[in-house]
Amino acid sequence: MMPLAIAVPADVAELRAAIVSSMNPVRFLAGGTDMLIAGRALPEAGLLIDITRVADMAFISTDGSDICIGAATTVATVASHPGLRARLPALCNAAAQCGSVQIRNRATIGGNIANAAPAADLMPVLTVAGALLRLIGRDGMQSEILLGDYTPAHGLITDVILPGAGLLRRSAFVKLGPREDLAISRLNLALLADFQNGCFGAVRIAAGALSHAPLILSFAEAALSGRKLEAAVLRDFLSTLAAEVDAAIPGRNSQLYKRRAIAGLGLDLIAQALGLSPRDRLFEEAVE
Amino acid sequence: MKVSLTVNGSAIETEILPLLRLSGFLRDVLGLTGLKEGCCEGECGACTVLLDQKPVNSCLMLAFQAQGHEILTIEGLGKADITGLQQAFLDVGAVQCGYCTPGMVLAAEGLLRANPCPDEGEIRHGLAGNICRCTGFETIVQAVFSESAVRQGMGR
Ligand SMILES: Cc1cc2nc3c(=O)[nH]c(=O)nc-3n(C[C@H](O)[C@H](O)[C@H](O)COP(=O)(O)OP(=O)(O)OC[C@H]3O[C@@H](n4cnc5c(N)ncnc54)[C@H](O)[C@@H]3O)c2cc1C
Ligand code: FES
Ligand code: FES
Repeated sequence: MMPLAIAVPADVAELRAAIVSSMNPVRFLAGGTDMLIAGRALPEAGLLIDITRVADMAFISTDGSDICIGAATTVATVASHPGLRARLPALCNAAAQCGSVQIRNRATIGGNIANAAPAADLMPVLTVAGALLRLIGRDGMQSEILLGDYTPAHGLITDVILPGAGLLRRSAFVKLGPREDLAISRLNLALLADFQNGCFGAVRIAAGALSHAPLILSFAEAALSGRKLEAAVLRDFLSTLAAEVDAAIPGRNSQLYKRRAIAGLGLDLIAQALGLSPRDRLFEEAVE
Repeated sequence: MKVSLTVNGSAIETEILPLLRLSGFLRDVLGLTGLKEGCCEGECGACTVLLDQKPVNSCLMLAFQAQGHEILTIEGLGKADITGLQQAFLDVGAVQCGYCTPGMVLAAEGLLRANPCPDEGEIRHGLAGNICRCTGFETIVQAVFSESAVRQGMGR
């Protein structure tokens, strides 16, 4: 096989041409914060395409009904974007807790998705937001698929679309790691919800690091949907969270630890989504 | 392949191997051995450089990705002498073995350029990507605080 070739396309037309014209395997390189970790095999042949120079692949658009994010947008940009914070603060919070400053300055949202790590922090938020991915396949054709259906075999992610209809007014993201900063999640939770007059409307919750991909916690969602914010409801919610852990990782060494930890995380999630203090009396009553 | 970039203010154009890491390029090709390659996993921060003013792990970038960018390493931080930030590290004893220091100083420099007036939490969060196994971090936080005060015109 031919030795490794590098392409650094400047725009989508060049990018598509590079993908289509290569007779050899094609790999993509974005921030490199996953691909370049020592010990991981780097491609020795084929075509390596650096997507970080492609015009119009690093942007965040929040003005339309849908939110659209270019796949090469850095995690640092996602963390600090005011328009995104106004509409989906959970995604900014998740991004702000990814790795270190150095990692966030290079890591991209596309890499976070394609990497398919069970603990990837942006994934649970993108899952509850019903994200769609715009792709360019090996044949150069554009397509759109649901986030949950994506595998690297589908090709290059160019955009992440968060349909406006799926964005609820409240959102939150919390994570538990082995230390406060620069920690891969042992468990993370994302929530989108409607909340009015002291009552939850629609609620969507997903957890990371409980399965190979984000897990939708439908029993926990049902424990809150349409119900009043009160200690008894929160107690129900906490017991469904523990049951979700039991069902997801039965017999796993981490089961006991995660079924306890998810209670604290769950209450932090509600507090963040509703702008309450995690020390609010309501939460104390819920765990009594 | 060819790469052209600016390192510590000097324009450089040279041939490189495609899979050469930026850390390897800076250390082995340009001889800028201030930065260290401690882990090559993004964990230790000893390889931190500023890329267009922002801290990055040079071990997790390929050198060709720096094409057209400006890189600052510890060697380029002070022109003739060490900077106030480096002096602050010395003054409070924030340097022991010194292995982490170049990366730590550049991460702190990046932090102060982005946020001239960080509080303690922001300093700790901003330096979370840099590990020091000697100092216990307290003196490093003090050094960054003290330099921030100087840059605000509040003296040391
Ligand atoms: C020290 C350290 C700490 C970390 N902490 C966290 C953390 O707290 N939370 C977290 O979620 N992650 C964390 N990560 C993982 C990593 O930084 C993220 O997953 C990041 O978003 C990857 O993006 P990237 O652009 O660097 O990917 P790259 O390394 O460039 O690529 C990763 C993979 O994705 C593919 N790829 C990249 N972009 C695309 C695209 N647009 N379309 C298709 N395929 C693509 C590449 O081919 C490659 O296989 C950490 C990593 C390190 C080294
Ligand atoms: S050598 Fe780059 S982070 Fe450790
Ligand atoms: S001074 Fe020794 S590692 Fe920081």
